[in-house]
Amino acid sequence: MLKDYPKAIVTQDGDSVLLRPATLADENALNEFFGEIPDQEQWFFREKLNDPKILHEFLLNLDYRRALPIVAVREKDGKIIANLRLHMSMAPCLGHVAHLRVMVHPNFRALKIGSWMILDCVKTAMDLGLEKLFAEFVAGVEEAAVGAAMKLDFRHEGILKGYIKDKKGVYRDLIIMSRDLQSKWSDF
Amino acid sequence: MTSLAGIAANPDLIGRCQTFESAYGVITMCGLCHPGFFENMILEGGLGRFSHYSSIIQKLESFEAFLDRKDGRVTVAIADSNHVIGYCLGSYPAHDDRWAALGDLMYELAAIEVSRNFRGLKLGERLLGMTMDDDFFEDKISYMCGYSWHWDLEGKELNAAQYRSMMKKLYSRFGFREVYTNEPNITLRAENIMMIRVGSRVTAEDQLKFRHLRFGIKPK
Repeated sequence: MLKDYPKAIVTQDGDSVLLRPATLADENALNEFFGEIPDQEQWFFREKLNDPKILHEFLLNLDYRRALPIVAVREKDGKIIANLRLHMSMAPCLGHVAHLRVMVHPNFRALKIGSWMILDCVKTAMDLGLEKLFAEFVAGVEEAAVGAAMKLDFRHEGILKGYIKDKKGVYRDLIIMSRDLQSKWSDF
Repeated sequence: MTSLAGIAANPDLIGRCQTFESAYGVITMCGLCHPGFFENMILEGGLGRFSHYSSIIQKLESFEAFLDRKDGRVTVAIADSNHVIGYCLGSYPAHDDRWAALGDLMYELAAIEVSRNFRGLKLGERLLGMTMDDDFFEDKISYMCGYSWHWDLEGKELNAAQYRSMMKKLYSRFGFREVYTNEPNITLRAENIMMIRVGSRVTAEDQLKFRHLRFGIKPK
């Protein structure tokens, strides 16, 4: 399943970007990546991978069956410019679904890197035999990601009103989106 | 008349030939077919038009049209002496195709199909294997584009994601890997797939040109 990586994409400005699973060797580049995410966005991190100790533990205990972290690496200098994680459950009752989280470096957000990463995730999830993919986005913060997901056939599954509290104490909705992966007939 | 007997009598009609026993009788694989090969052949009934699916090739003349193209390649599986039960087609991309911008570097495995009545014999693997078993491909970036709306999901009793995985497994056995592109037909559905095999003599420079072309940046 992972043997097709790295997968190359090319941005509109001609830069080659490689998508591939993260490894422990990416620790420094990932620390740099998370460190460059604006404070107000880091606030919404669930796993707190912006904490070097937590990131180290995460990378040390990588188990691609539970969480598949894909990084987008700019080929010319090795800089990590986006990060996606596909979270899967080992519980049989949840073995058919997975959750994705995606984060693009603020300097690289108009290049459709996030869209390519979500598409890559959808294809990987299909190839893993998963049936449904979920993504959660903070309303008013991750609108670009919501737009990218909708273009890739994600649908609104529901909204958790006031589920998230931002750094200023303002309640925000959590948008839950999903995409069916194993639809029986092509609707083309 | 072209039939297995005719083929044996006129080896100029094919470049290579293999025969094997199957649960459905003797099947003959013919590669590098030459013009005239399909005279008096018959398309077996499991190739054709069905409620949710139509074969890409529905007339024998279409095979001959492929053979008329420069370096057009047709590999077929024959049963019952002259019944075409499967095929694999290859040619350079059409001149208006995005990939034609790289000239003869690019070579498309345009179609592979096995009759509904002869599935489960690994004929697809044999067809692709016989087609790809040629030094010709070491100078090429061979590619296939799999569009989910062409797939016989009903006949295979698979959904599009499962069919996609089947295609990936089949082509990966011959050194193909999935690549991404913004070519509009491929991006139309996530199940769609482009796979490539880079020949051993293809230069790094040509590979880079192809990578850029996949994202709409034409070679200078």
